[in-house]
Formats: sequence, C-alpha cells, structure tokens
Amino acid sequence: MLKLRSSGLSCGVCANFRIPIPRCYMNSITTSSIDVKPKVPLYLRPPSFSASLSELTKWHKWAKNLASSVGSSFINLDNGPDSTLLRRELNWLLQDLIELQYRSVILSRLESGNNENPDVSVALRAPLEEMYCVWRQRIEKRRPFQYVVGCEHWRDLVLSVQEGVLIPRPETEVIIDLVEGVALNNAPELAQSFWADLGTGSGAIAIATARALATHARGDACGRVIATDLSSVAVAVATSNVQRYGLQDVVEVRKGSWFEPLKDVQGKLAGVLSNPPYIPSGDISGLQAEVGQHEPILALDGGISGTNDLLHLIDGVASMLKPGGFFAFETNGEQQCKFLVEYIENEKPGSFRDMNIVSDFAGIQRFVMGFRR
Amino acid sequence: MATAAMGGGFMNQIMRSKTVSLVGKAAAPPWPSSYFLVSLKRKGIGFQLYCCSNINNNNSNTYLTLKDEELMRQCELNTFKASGPGGQHRNKRESAVRLKHLPTGIIARAVEDRSQHMNRASALARLRTLIALKANCCLIDMNEVRNPVSLESYSPPPELLQILPRNSTLRRSDSGPQIGPNNPKFILGMQALLDLIFAVDGSISDAAKLLGMSTGALSRLILSDDSLWKAVNELRASKGMNPLK
Repeated sequence: MLKLRSSGLSCGVCANFRIPIPRCYMNSITTSSIDVKPKVPLYLRPPSFSASLSELTKWHKWAKNLASSVGSSFINLDNGPDSTLLRRELNWLLQDLIELQYRSVILSRLESGNNENPDVSVALRAPLEEMYCVWRQRIEKRRPFQYVVGCEHWRDLVLSVQEGVLIPRPETEVIIDLVEGVALNNAPELAQSFWADLGTGSGAIAIATARALATHARGDACGRVIATDLSSVAVAVATSNVQRYGLQDVVEVRKGSWFEPLKDVQGKLAGVLSNPPYIPSGDISGLQAEVGQHEPILALDGGISGTNDLLHLIDGVASMLKPGGFFAFETNGEQQCKFLVEYIENEKPGSFRDMNIVSDFAGIQRFVMGFRR
Repeated sequence: MATAAMGGGFMNQIMRSKTVSLVGKAAAPPWPSSYFLVSLKRKGIGFQLYCCSNINNNNSNTYLTLKDEELMRQCELNTFKASGPGGQHRNKRESAVRLKHLPTGIIARAVEDRSQHMNRASALARLRTLIALKANCCLIDMNEVRNPVSLESYSPPPELLQILPRNSTLRRSDSGPQIGPNNPKFILGMQALLDLIFAVDGSISDAAKLLGMSTGALSRLILSDDSLWKAVNELRASKGMNPLK
C-alpha cells in the first residue's frame, strides 16, 4: 500500500486515529484563466491503491460515526444534510472508491460487519488516508459531496464537477424533458439546427440536449449545441465532459458572457436554454454551507432581485432565436416566473407564443418557456 | 412525461429512511381490505411491498408488455416535497421518486440512485416487479387464482423459456440465451413461472418436471432472484409447505 507521508495541510482535527494526513487538494483551483486542468473524478481514477479489508472496515466505521454525529444539526443550522443523507453519500463514496469487479462483495461485507479474512487486500482508487481527509472535509467543512468525489449523477449522465463549477441540480433535469417533450415533439425540425446553453457550467444541459437532438433528428442532419460560460474553469470542465461523451463534434464550448460569443448564429438558433444565477444577493449569506461557502458565486448571485441575468437573457433571446425557436430558463420560483412572464408580455409584445410556467419535481414553479413567433 | 412532473409534490416520511419502500394498495377496496407485507430483497436493496387484492389479474400481463413510456403514462409521478426554495439554493441530493400506477393503485418508490432520472427508472422497474408479483399477493389474501395454467398439455410460454437455464430439455434452439434477473424481460418469465408453481400447488419438483429440468436446477433459478424466491416461499407458506432455502 502506498503510504503518503506528506506533511501538507491538515484538514480538521479528529484525534482518534494516527494516520498521516496527506495534502488535501481542496482549493487547488485558482481563478486564473491560464491552463485550467480538469480534475479526474474518483470513479475514473485507476485502482492503483489498496487497503486491507480491516483497514477499510475501520475507516468505514469511523466515517459512519462521523456522519451519525451530525444528527439534524445541519438541518437546524442552514437546512443542510442530516445523518441519513450523509450516510447515503458515504455509500456512494464507497461505490466510487472501490473497483467495480469486487465492489458488491466488499460493500456487503462492510454492511454485514463480517470479520472473515481481515487481511485480504482491496483495490482502491485513492489512498485510504485521502478518504479520511475528504470525509472530514465533507462533514467539518461542509464541502459538497460532489466536489469530494468529483462528479454528479444527473439524468443518465455522470458529469465531472470541481470547485469553480456549479453542481447541476436535480430540478434542472426537467429542462431536458421540456426540450424533448415540448420543443422537439411539437417541432421536430428544431432537432436539426443550432441550440445554445448559456452559462453551461459542467455542460450538463448542453450534453443532455445534444443527446436528445441525436435521438430526435431524422435522417442525416443532426443539430448542434453551443455552450457558453464566462468562467474558464467551467469551460475546461464542460469541454472535458463533452469529450467524455464523445460529443466534441456536436457540442462546442465557447468562453464568454451570455450571447456575446454567439454573434455568428444570431437569429439562427432553434433553441436557447439556461440555468443562470437567480438567487437574490441578500439570500446568498444565508445559503446552506455546501452551496454558499463552496460553489461559485458567479453561478448563484443574480443581483438584488435575482433577475439581472434572466432579464438580460430575455432581452436578447428574441433576436437570437429564429422564428419558431424555443427557449426555457430556470428561475428562483413562482415570484420570478410570474415577473418574467409579465415583463415579456409588457416589454416584448408579440415576440413569443405558447409561453408557459413549468413546475419542477417538487411542485415549485421553476421554468419559463416559450416559442419565438 | 413532463406533464406528470407538474403535479404537487408528495413525500412520505418512509422515503427518508435508507430502506426503499414499495407501497401498493387498491384505490377503493370494495371488500374488507387486509394488508400484508412481503419483504423483498433485490440487487442488495431492501424494500417492502404492501399489497392488497383489489386488482384484476387479467390485466397484469397487459401492463407488463407495455413499453416504459406507455407504462409511465399510466403513472402519477411525485417527488420529494422540498423544504425551502430548492434549485440553486440547495445541495441535498434528495432525488427520490414515487410512482403511482393509476389503473392498479400500486406505488413504487426509489431513493437510493444518484439522479432523479435514474430513480425514476428504478421505480419503474420496481413497479414491473410489483405488477408481476401482485397476483401472488392476491392469492394469499383472497385465495384468488393466478393466471390459469392447464397442466395436462402444459407447454411453457416463450417468456418463461427465456429465463430457463440451458439444461432444460424444453429449451429450443430459438429460445435464445438465458435471461437473468437484471433483464427487464425476466419479470414476464417470473410471472409465468409463479403461475405454474401455483398450479402445481407449490411443488418445485412437479414444476421442474413440467419444465424439463431437475428440481435442483429449478431451485437454483428461483434462488437467483430474491423477489422471486420470496414470492415462491409466500406461496408455499400459504399451502403449509416449508420455505425453499
């Protein structure tokens, strides 16, 4: 087993074990725009480390106890995760850590507390010392689970994420249902031209849309997606996610603010999608620690009322879409949805048809959508 | 599918637990309903199935042959009722899904997958299992019969042949490779197998003879899927027989 004896950053104090703490690459992403290298998520790393079953069991017990010690304190503090959710995350962490071949055997052994063959060696994708470190970050620093494992499962995709990139939310999965169920079903020809995902972050919407276009395109001409983002970390991460899904010929990632990098396709877009920052500035300080202290403010803060970027998108979208083109934007909830629809009706009369407010899975009015006349 | 998502949120406390629950009940039982519990274990995930008898057996096959989208259209989809504003405000990975199959009232849930989308697929797969098993539930509850099987001229339906191991003498060259519990088509075979085992009063050796295989081979097939195993044992228990182990 590889022993990391780096005397690097210690991350939090937890005294009941004496294992050297490796350097935790927690904030290794800087805001500099040069050479952002996307991190490899845990589940894609080679299983080149190992631990004995008893060492793994010991870590698992420790991690479980740490999760249990949280109780409902985070819920009371800032509506954060409770022990049940943290223990579920711990299982997901194990899934990513252990090589697929023996995963189910090992997981059931850990679950059952069976003590046979404690010396058997288990292949891991990261050293166990790092696992002590990252799980402490998860609990004590409230570092988002998705940054810990470097990925988020979203629809049928597994997307790499890291500090500096917004973690795609389950709510946003509905945008793709709208693309397929509303736009492409009503107007299949839209599957053959350009779509845009503005503020793409991890590339989630762009990648899922590209796959939806491929499914719906009949015959030869399949549409393409242009994804834009102002953040160079996001551009790097989205590009690598696009490549992982083999979509580099279908999805193009461009760096820039909103419509700025899209001048060449003005008036030609078949669809414009976005999950822009929409949280009112005043709400940022009260956010759940995982979000407010770790996710990029650039992707969250939508100005005083939260609608700065949404209004910018609505002002620009009419001239970007071709007639019949589709748009769908995610919002903060009912209030923003209603405000935006009213704004469009008053300020852009006759520009759009079939406008609609759509609720998310939890029944909160979340999306504004419509078609260009 | 998107329209199904627009209903009000719903979330039962039970979904907060690590256990995945399948709760099925008849919409409005015209007779005194007695619920009972079948514990299932499938793919390492514990879940429970409550079932009542107010379901028309004849339909179960029809439902199982529906495509995913068609079955989904018969369902009401609800998810976790989020507290607070949700969206960008939240990082909780609570992507639980609850599917209610409107024609039967059967409810399937999934919570342990890592995306909303995958939980929906898991819930749908579980719904299929439940529909296949429910005839068995009805038997215990109401002594209703499963899909009738004629033993005198018995010949297994193709969906049952598909799940039989190669050494069954009834398998033909066109039966294709053996389908395992992870294949969605396994459920149809499982249902036909349960129909047969019911028709022979729970006797594994009699069923094995009719399937052209040894009792041991059939037992192994039954034990290969936890929900099938449980269902067979429930059926045997209702006839006063010992469980398969």
